[in-house]
Parts: sequence; structure tokens; C-alpha cells
Amino acid sequence: MNSSPPLARLPLPALFTAALLLVATAGCDRPADSVSSESVAVAGAMGSGDTTGYARATSPRPFSFPEDHGPHPGFKTEWWYVTGNLDTPKGRHLGYQFTIFRIAMAPPDSGRAPLQPASTGGADTSASGWRTDQFYMAHLAVSDVRGERHYDFERFARGAAGLAGARAEPFRVWTEGWQMAEPDSAGDADIFPLRLTAQAGGSNGEKSVALDLRLTSAKEKVLQGERGLSQKGPGAGNASFYYSFTRLPTEGTVAAGGDTLRVRGPSWMDREWSTSALGEEQAGWDWFALQLSGGRELMYYQLRQKGGAPSAYSEGVLVGPRGEVTHLTREDVALDVLEQWTAESGATYPAKWRLRVPSENLDLTVTPYFENQVMNTSVRYWEGAVRVEGSAGGSASGSGYVELTGYGEEGEGKEGRGMLP
Amino acid sequence: MPNRLLWTSSRRYLARHLWLMGLSVLGVALGVAVVVGIDLANTSAERAFRLSADRLTGQATHQVVGAGGGLRTSAYRRVRTRPYVGGRPAGDTAGVDRGAFMTKEGAALMSAPTARALGKRPGDTLRIAVDGQPRTLQLVGLLRSRDERTRRATRNLLVTDIATAQEVLGKREQLTRIDLILPESEAGEKRAKNRLQQALPPGAEIRRSEARTETVEQMTRAFSLNLSALSLLALVVGLFLIYNTMTFSVVQRRPLIGRLRALGVTRGEVFALVLGEAALVGLVGTLVGLALGVGLAQGLVRLVTRAINDLYFVVNVQDVTVTPWVLAKGAALGMGATLAAAYAPAREAARAEVSVTLQRSRAESAARSLAPRLAFAGVAVALLAGVLLLAPGQSIWVGYAALFCALLAAALLAPAAVVALARALRPVMEKIFGVLGRMAARGLRQSLSRTGVAIAALMVAVAATVGVGVMTKSFRQTVRAWLTYSLQSDVYVQPPSLVFRRSTATLARGTADTLAQVPGVAGAHTVRRVEVASSAGPTQLVAIKPGPETQDTYRFKTGDPAQVWPRFRGGENVVIVSEPYGYRTGTEVGDTLRLQTDRGRDAFRVGAVFYDYASDRGVVTMSRATYDRYYDDERVSGVALRAVSGLSADSLAARVRAAAPPGQELVVQSSRGLREASLEIFDRTFAITNVLRLLAVVVAFIGVLSALMALQLERRRELAVMRAGGMTPGQVGGYVTLQTGLMGLAAGLLALPLGMALSYVLVFVINKRSFGWTLQLQVPPEILLQAVGLALAAALLAGAYPAWKMARANPAEAMREG
Repeated sequence: MNSSPPLARLPLPALFTAALLLVATAGCDRPADSVSSESVAVAGAMGSGDTTGYARATSPRPFSFPEDHGPHPGFKTEWWYVTGNLDTPKGRHLGYQFTIFRIAMAPPDSGRAPLQPASTGGADTSASGWRTDQFYMAHLAVSDVRGERHYDFERFARGAAGLAGARAEPFRVWTEGWQMAEPDSAGDADIFPLRLTAQAGGSNGEKSVALDLRLTSAKEKVLQGERGLSQKGPGAGNASFYYSFTRLPTEGTVAAGGDTLRVRGPSWMDREWSTSALGEEQAGWDWFALQLSGGRELMYYQLRQKGGAPSAYSEGVLVGPRGEVTHLTREDVALDVLEQWTAESGATYPAKWRLRVPSENLDLTVTPYFENQVMNTSVRYWEGAVRVEGSAGGSASGSGYVELTGYGEEGEGKEGRGMLP
Repeated sequence: MPNRLLWTSSRRYLARHLWLMGLSVLGVALGVAVVVGIDLANTSAERAFRLSADRLTGQATHQVVGAGGGLRTSAYRRVRTRPYVGGRPAGDTAGVDRGAFMTKEGAALMSAPTARALGKRPGDTLRIAVDGQPRTLQLVGLLRSRDERTRRATRNLLVTDIATAQEVLGKREQLTRIDLILPESEAGEKRAKNRLQQALPPGAEIRRSEARTETVEQMTRAFSLNLSALSLLALVVGLFLIYNTMTFSVVQRRPLIGRLRALGVTRGEVFALVLGEAALVGLVGTLVGLALGVGLAQGLVRLVTRAINDLYFVVNVQDVTVTPWVLAKGAALGMGATLAAAYAPAREAARAEVSVTLQRSRAESAARSLAPRLAFAGVAVALLAGVLLLAPGQSIWVGYAALFCALLAAALLAPAAVVALARALRPVMEKIFGVLGRMAARGLRQSLSRTGVAIAALMVAVAATVGVGVMTKSFRQTVRAWLTYSLQSDVYVQPPSLVFRRSTATLARGTADTLAQVPGVAGAHTVRRVEVASSAGPTQLVAIKPGPETQDTYRFKTGDPAQVWPRFRGGENVVIVSEPYGYRTGTEVGDTLRLQTDRGRDAFRVGAVFYDYASDRGVVTMSRATYDRYYDDERVSGVALRAVSGLSADSLAARVRAAAPPGQELVVQSSRGLREASLEIFDRTFAITNVLRLLAVVVAFIGVLSALMALQLERRRELAVMRAGGMTPGQVGGYVTLQTGLMGLAAGLLALPLGMALSYVLVFVINKRSFGWTLQLQVPPEILLQAVGLALAAALLAGAYPAWKMARANPAEAMREG
């Protein structure tokens, strides 16, 4: 999945501006474009991501479920990342992304200054129910291929007072009204059937979007990297814990632009948590999650060096029809950009690729369903539904999601150093 | 050439009477200064409030507020599943460690200039007090403002995370309000409101964001308006001064004007000449007045701010905002008043007969014959004043219009009254002072064209002091009497509060119980004050736990105590409302008031209207039992304690202070102490009124000074003739002194009925309409004596220099100079 997906590049100030919004007023559910320029331009702070005191992903660990489906507050960042390609019975194609990010704003047990005095005096000195160091951000997007319309929204909330949070059993992760939950938890170790519900952009109109989807899992989860430890750069701890559900048969309704549509198709879910930063020399990444006909899935992320060359820490996985896993390294994969597209913001993104895995006899052409699937959220990135065509007689065609970061957004006033580790 | 001749003569005249013109300029300047000063002080306070209110509202169009003490945090959670968007944070938080801001307990931000003024830097500790309980915050960053407006708006803000605010304010599960941006279209707004209302608890209410700001501004509207009206008083007195000066100049130059007319100067040119001179005086006076006004505002704004803080809400006004609009208004008033006052003299001058050297005696007899006509006009204006007073309605402006009509009527009646008074006093004066006395009395009558106006100006100013003085005194006496019967407990305890009269601060939990256990306490009654919405608008609700003596502490204006109290105590849905509340909202006994409660809007029957002078917004009072049924609020705003017999209030107060829980600062006052403190606030509030009154007197004094000096100096020849006729210098001095003293006496005596009329209007019309209070009119004789004494003293002082100079003048020279 997104190896260090958008979050890794979120300038923290943007998040805290959002936090301030919550404090001063009631914020959010903004069509993302209204906030981005302002938020990203906020200066400063948080240094280059001080990771002192946080838990680190240093070596493989045994996962334990259902607990690991829930939050890991000792790590700085974590996400529940769902994307999918859905079709209506009449063949109208929709892509969607629904992600909830968790961000720790202070290391665990960072020893808060005790609130003053309050010498006894009968004063109520317990902490406020709003006190927390956990912050949640959620992104929601729908790509309506027919009209080439891309809807994107974001929300922020503190992980307190019931406004946002995550819990393993019964599984529920939510940011205000948007949530992923296992409604009839069977007490088992998994989170399926999983229900996603989210609504944004007004009650019912041109600009509104709503999801109500039910996801089941066709395959066992896949541990990425080395038994779930995904190394992102040199040095111990510059890694994340990472596992994926690569094929999640999905059905339900999606409302977009005034139409409410019954849909069906495969989704993909990534779970990842870490306290690591991109290395100084890394500029961004291209991430592919492709679901191929014949029951295979391919995940591959390529970290890009500042000069544009792929980093040695790029890696991927190929999942067979029965869940058999083949790990791929940088050397196993050849990725070539065939076309480019320049967004309104001036950023130029790759817009068509040839992706080959010679050892697996795969030769794929990956094309966005349409070009403008930019997330105009606090941090701008490209996240979109793609069509996959296999050169080998269609046996490897399909669809998927691609995420692109680090393409020309730096110029927009973001202070590159302020990113989250 | 006539034109040049005209202006040359004008210039020479002005130059020769520089001191006279100077005094006129000063009169105008003071009048304008007072008006501008008050206006600036008012607008600065309002602007400061609006700025910070707007800053806190941001772009929100609506807000959700709770019924009483606040909103449960769960309301926010429920609202957040509905779609809407939010506003903008205050200031620019560049350089702020936002992680620390949210996660550190006690983390706070403040504006950079404020921090500098306090000598604080990020990382420093801030000690604050919340309802008397000390708290410590840590400054984690500064709000840096991009512009002056933002800087002012954020100056009085401490910004904290909401969790910090809840902890510091001791309101764990509470929010003050939720800001919303709802769709602009009417249909969209309605739809959003409906959806939100479903998500909200029954007590919560969605209202427009401006509603709060407007409510708060309305609170001070009557206050500001009264100040503005009083400030006009000084200008009105100044207006008399201009009229006097210009009339004098015209009378004195009548022969010259006659000759000029013979040389071909037209009536229009003469008219323009006089108005031009007045405009020059007005212009210089206005310019000086504007500058003085800006200076005066620096002092007045402190008085205004203090009064607002005592009475209404906390606003911190550090600078006077000088707006062009206020200056333009002041300039227009100054110039307008000057030209209006000069109009009559200018017309008079334009009428002068060609080449005829008029004797002043003719002018004087004209003035005397004019007196009855003026008196007639005066009666007409007085009738108009009466009609305005009797007209139905609550307009404060109409009340003030009537007040100014009364002043004008009195001024018009003044000459006739002076004639009558002089005639009546002549025998008395003759008896006491002999022939000098008779001469003085007659001289007063004979120089009516100038003395009339001077006396009228002095009369208006003195009457204003009488009117305002009587009103203030009546008010104070009424409040004092009310304090005496309403403060029947011995010791009153409340948390420290920034706003004296409207404290909604609460005591820490358990404090009330602790204090009730103090040895020597025979009984304890709690009070809780909250702001709630109601069918009659925003309302201060007071919940009291009635004790046995409570009944005696309320006096009903309407309503039957025997019926009301049992139901009130019994916790029925009965409320009693204070007189200002009833007046302001039109609520009467038997009406039903719908109050916003935590159970939704509920109906309460109004059982009585009681006298109360604590709040000009008025209050609605219900029993604590009723309150507890409708509001989820256990807090207490204050406790009244009764001492066991034999224990003095002061001793009990000392015990209570000693028993105060640590960490809870308390304001503990004996009933006497509280009474004194209340009266002190009262006096503070009226300090500004007294300042305005004094300024009007100063202007009047200048008027009298200039009028009398002009009069006496002009009579040098006449006095020289008296000297030549055998009068000693002492006799001449005595004659002048007697005459000015007589003028002062006349003004003082005439000011009494006018002052009484003014006080009547102020007490029963203006105050009633502004605040709804019933005051007992009290006429303390010392105020009346003071008024006459003031008039006499002003006149004698003004006459001292001319008298001295006349007495010393060499008669031969004086006669030659003519």
C-alpha cells in the first residue's frame, strides 16, 4: 500500500491548523480545496519530526488479532486505508478512497505538566474529556468515471469525547460521522463483514458524496515486507508494520453528484503504523495496488530519490489466486512512465505506466480512468482509480489504485521539513 | 471699495476685541470637545467590543447555545455527524508548537503585544484566576497579527485548546457554544437548522451569530445614548455664548454699520459679514475643539470603560479610535451651532437703517419690547415640550427632544423674566444698597440685549447642574433605600468577578456547603445567575433558595405577595421579574414567559414585578427548586449568610474568610460592606455624568465672563460720567459688582424652576425610558442653594475684573476714548 502514504508527507502544521479550527470553532467537512492553500502555507513547527519517546518498528513482531486491527497509540502515525473499483449493474464505473489516519501529537507518557493547584478546595481537577494526544484525520474521495468528476473531502477530529477514535473489538474506526466498523462482531479475530459509511458535502446535492458499503474478505491478510515489517529507508526503525487485505468483495451504495448508485466490485485495505521518516534523499513515491483478472493482486511501491531514481527500498508483493505470496524487490520490477499530465496547480504527474515483472511474466499497462484525481486536501497528492491492461492476451487485465506523491507540490509554500516522520 | 472697507472694519473690530472673540472660541471649542470626546469614548468602547466579538465569531453564521450554564459536550459529538463547515482560528499562529498546544495541559497562546506588555515569553508561566481560583497556564506561543485590526482584536484573548479551557474553567463536560456556517440560502439554512435541531438536546438553540453581539451592544445602548445627550448640553450652552458674542458685536457696531450702509454696503454684505465673523469664530473653535475632544476622549474612555465593566461586560479599551466620521460629526455640530446662533444677530445687523446713528437706547428699548414676544414663543416651545413628554412611546430621543425644548423655552422666557425680576428686585436692592442698588437693578433691565442672553446661558448651565444633580441624588437615595431592605442577610459571599453587577461566576463545588457549616451561621441562601434565552429575548435568570426573610427583601410593584410567595416557594412554574425587565420586554403580572431550559422551552407565569436596581437589563427570578427541575446545573453564584443573634456581621465575615477553602478566593462582604461597595459603584458610574455637568458649567462660566466683561468694558464712558458726577472709585466698583451679582442671582433663581423641570424629565421620562426604573424624586435643598450660589459666584467672579478696572480708570481718559 502506500508505503509511507500521504501522511508521511503531511506537513504537521496543516494538521494543527486544523486542530486549531476545532478549538476555536467547529471545523471541517470542507470540500478540501477550500482549505489547502491556507493550511499548507502555515509555517513551521514540529521540526523535522522529533521521534524521541515514540515506539519504533525495529524488527518483525508477531501480530495479534483482533488487537492489531485497533490503534497503536505509541506510534506516531497509523492508518486504515481502503480503496476500491466499483461498477453499477449498468456498467458505470466508480473509484473510491476512504482513509482514516491517526496521528500522535506527543510521545506516550510524555509527562504532562499537572494542571495547577487546584489545591483541593473541592475543585474538580480531573482531566477534560477532550484532553488527548491522539488526532484523527479522514480523507474521502469518489471518482465518477462517466463524468470524469472527482469528489474529495477531509475531516479532522481529536481522538476524544467520542469525536474520533479506533478500537479493535468490536472493530470500529471513526472520525466524526465517517466510520469503518464491523457491525455484527462475531468475536472472531477478523473485522469482516466491514461496513464503511461516510457522507460529505451537504445533505443531497451536486457536490455531495455518500458511501455505504459492505466489505467481505476473499483472501487472508498479507504481511508486507519481512513478516509485516516494511523497511522504508536505511537504519533501524525507519520502517513500518504493514499488512494488507488485497481482495475485498464489496457491495452497497455510492451517492455522488445527486445520483445514488448500487455498486459492486473489489476493494483493497492497507493497515500500517510507524514512527519513521522518509530519508532526506527521498522525494516521494509511486504506489500501485492492482487487482488482476484471474484472482491475482500486485502491490508495488517505488520510493523516488531526489534525482528521480528509484530507491533500493522500493518493494512489492504478488498475491496468487489462493493467497500465495511472492515478495518483489526493486530489481524484480521495471516501471516506465509512458505519459504525463499537468494539473491546474502546475504539478506534473505521470499518467500512464508500463509495469513489468519479468520473473512472473507480467507486462502491464496502467492507465488512470481519468487524469484529474488529485486530492486537494491539506496536503495535495494524486490518488486515483486505474485501468490495467495486460499485454499477454488480457489474462492480466483489471483495475486498481495508484498513489503519487512528491510531484511538484513542494513549491506551494509547504516547508518541506515540517513533515511527519 | 465698500467691500474692502467692510472687511477692514471687521478685521479691526475683531482685533480690538480679541479677548472677547477668544472667549467665544473657547466656548465653542469646549462644547465641541465634550461632544467629540464622549462620542469617541463611546465608539471606541463599542468598536473594541465588536472587534473582539467578531474575531471570536470568525466566519460562523450561526451558533448553538445551551439553555443555561452551557452545552453538554455530547451535543457537539451529535452535531458533528451533520454536515457543515467551520471558521478560522484567531490570529496567525506561525511559530506555535501546535503539538504542545493541544497536548500540554495548561498550554495557552496570547497576542505578541500583550505578552510583551506583561513581560512574558513563550515557555513562561501565566498565573490567572478563574472565579477566584488560581490557575497556572503555560505560554506556548504567540499570536502574531498581520494588521492593526487583528492586533486589537486579539489583544485580550488567551487562546487554549478546548480541553485546557474546560480544565482551567472547571467545566469538564461543558461547551459554551458551537459555531456553525450554515448555507446562505433561506431554504438551505432552514433545512440545515432542522437537521441540526434533531441532533441537539432539547435545551439547545440555534441562533444567528450576530445575535449575541447585538444583545451585548444593546445593553450599553441606553447608557451611550444618555452620555451623548448629556454631552450635547455643553454645546447648547456654548451656543448661547456665540449668540451673545455676535449680538454684542452687532449692537456695538450698529452706528458703524449704519454708516457703512450709507456708503453703499448692501444688506446682504452686512449679513455675510456677521455670519463670516461667526464662521471664523466657529471654525477656530471647532478645530481647537476637535483637538481638545481627542485629548478629552483619552480620559473619558477610561470612565466609560469602567462604567461598562461595572455594569455590563468586560471590555478592554486601550486606545481611542479616532474615526473621521466622529470628527466630521463634531465639526458639523460646531459649525452648525455657531452659524445657527449667529443667524439672528446677522439678520438684525442687516436690518440697520442707512446712515442713522442709532442710539443704543433704541436698541435696548427694542430688546425690551421684544421680550414679551420672545416670552410668547417660549410658552409655545414649552407647550411643544409638554406634548413631546405626553406623547406615548418609549423613545429616549423624544425624551431628550422634550428636554431641549424645555431649555429653549426657558431661554426664550428669560428676558421677560429678567425684566420682571429686575422690577421686583429694585425696591429690595434700593433698601439694602441704596441708590447704587436701584441703579444696578435698572441697568440690568436697560442693557437687556446683552444681559438677557448672558443670564439665559448661565441659567441653562446652572439648571442643568440642578437637573442632573437632583436626578443623581434621587437615584442614589432610591438605590440606598433599596439596598437597605434587600440586603437583609449579614454576610454575602461570591467569587471575584470582572463585572460587578452581572456576575455569572460560580463557586467551586462544595464551597456553599462548607460556608453554611461555619460556626455562627444561622441560615444560608444560595443564588445562581445564568443567561438564558426566552420569548422576551436574552434574559438573566436568577435562581434563589428563599429563606424566611426573603419575602421582606423584595418589594412588589405589582403582584400580590400573599399569593405569589407560597407558589414561588413551592417550586411551581412561577417567576417574578424585576421592574426594568418588565418595562424593557413589556412583561406584566399574569403574562407567560417562555424560558429556554434544559428540558426545552417551558412556560412560566409572571407572578409579580419587583423593584430592583441591580441591573438595568432586568432579571427574572425563580426559586432554586424550580430551577433544579429545569436545569442540569448544580452550581452556585453566591451565598448569603445570616449570623446567629449576638454575632456581628463583621465577625461572621471574618470567620467566613478564615473558612474559605484553600484555592478558592472569595469576596466576602458584610451587608454594610456590600451596601457601601454598591454605592461606590453607583458613584463611579455617575462620575462621568458629573464630569459632563461640570464641563457645561465651565462653558457657562466662560459665557458669563465674556458677556459681563463685554458689557462693563463697553460702558467705560458711562461709568466715567458717573465718576465725573462725583462717584468714588469704590462706588463705581460696587455698582459694577452689584449689577453682575444681580445677574448671577437672577440666573440662579430662574435656574431653579427650570432645573426642577429638567430633573423631573430626567427621572420620570429619560431614566424610565432608558432603564425602566422607578425613582423617588428627592429635592435636596443643598443642591438648590448650591445652584444659586454657583450662579452668584460665577457672575461675581466674572464681574471682578471689570469692576476693578472701572474703578481704577481715569475718568477723563475714559470719556475721551469713548
